[in-house]
Amino acid sequence: MCLGIPMQIVSIDGFNARCEAKGVSREVSLFLLQGEDIKIGDHVMVHVGYAIQTMTAQEARSTWELLDEMLAAEDSDA
Amino acid sequence: MLEAKDWLARIHALNIEQPMRIMNVCGGHERSISMAGLRTALPKQVQLIAGPGCPVCVCPEEDVYQAIQLAVHAGVILVAFGDMLRVPVNVAKGALRSLEQAKAAGADVRPIASPREAVQIAQQNPERQVVFFAAGFETTMAPVAAMLLEGVPDNLSLLLSGRLTWPAVAMLLDSGEAGFNALVAPGHVATVMGPEEWSFVVEQHHMPAAVAGFTPVSLLAAMYSVLRQSLEDKCFLDNCYPELVKPGGNPAARRLLAKAFDVTDANWRGIGIIPASGYALAPAYAAHDARLRFPAYNDTERKRAGQMPPGCDCARVVLGRIDPDACKLYGTACTPKYPVGPCMVSDEGACRIWWSTGVRAAVHD
Ligand code: SF4
Repeated sequence: MCLGIPMQIVSIDGFNARCEAKGVSREVSLFLLQGEDIKIGDHVMVHVGYAIQTMTAQEARSTWELLDEMLAAEDSDA
Repeated sequence: MLEAKDWLARIHALNIEQPMRIMNVCGGHERSISMAGLRTALPKQVQLIAGPGCPVCVCPEEDVYQAIQLAVHAGVILVAFGDMLRVPVNVAKGALRSLEQAKAAGADVRPIASPREAVQIAQQNPERQVVFFAAGFETTMAPVAAMLLEGVPDNLSLLLSGRLTWPAVAMLLDSGEAGFNALVAPGHVATVMGPEEWSFVVEQHHMPAAVAGFTPVSLLAAMYSVLRQSLEDKCFLDNCYPELVKPGGNPAARRLLAKAFDVTDANWRGIGIIPASGYALAPAYAAHDARLRFPAYNDTERKRAGQMPPGCDCARVVLGRIDPDACKLYGTACTPKYPVGPCMVSDEGACRIWWSTGVRAAVHD
């Protein structure tokens, strides 16, 4: 659960943001990032539907590589 | 940027003579370590210990029992993070022993992936009571706090089993037999709470510590840091996840946590009470406390209430006292398909992680 998923913001409406990662689109809350300057195109670390911090595109990519490996390992999990 | 193999080369170049036991306290760390095979890649003097990093594993058995009772007898919609559904409680043979079994028997139990879904379900069912059984560490409790502060419908209440991570480490260090001599601190807990929370490891216990992210690169950087700190006898709290972990953490998240919850002494399954280690609803949110709304559904007189299942060594696994495969049931009576204890149920449980990354049962005589 603590792993979190990096996503990119595609639109913002108040505290709600539509975010995308690898073609999957989700509604994400920005309530925990009040006071931060957040823009469309930014990457955020999403945990149980809430963005907990902003991050760089580079950091998002390396986390995604890790998640891909984990998913592949889970699939072959007996 | 350095790659994993560069960090490994650096670690192997260190002159490590004394055994080093590095503990992590995060299921995500343990999964990365196990999946990347870091245990075998490191010099043999370096041992990696999985510590208290699984909120599902330490969620009191009584709380799971109460959730099952609420779902079965109070007619509520019981929502919980998916991991909680398969956690077994100690009941007589034939009785419902998990939320999953309660669901199969017709109770309205729904797995959710976000607190926002709990609110939606409550809004869609205004005539029903909805109970959100919420277990988790700071990273999960901050979103739960956000959910509360944003406003929740009257028919939604919380069965809260939130825990703080650092007090369990403090408890181990204060016990005089910590069982580890360096700490890798959890990256996303520090993202929310700030790295400073972990300073006590260095300042009070003179133990090397480093906050790590979840990639092998970040984890190896943290391991290299604590090893060097130890060799040079210069401890400091290193931050090997600076992309997300800022001084002071996430101030909005901390503010919301402080508003929504009080910090209290709390029970950890199989371990006991750890001082100031749990979240309880602040008085302003008492109206949404499922324990107050449905007080009749707890039964502490029950046989084996609160304990681990018979034969399950989860408590010692959680504390890093033994490796998962040292449990006699590991891989024999207990597998992800037929889990005996919570450590084999949860994605963050060390038993589950070891099994799913290929550690097969050790031979016991
Ligand atoms: S292998 Fe199963 S029974 Fe043994 S400690 Fe782990 S969860 Fe408990």
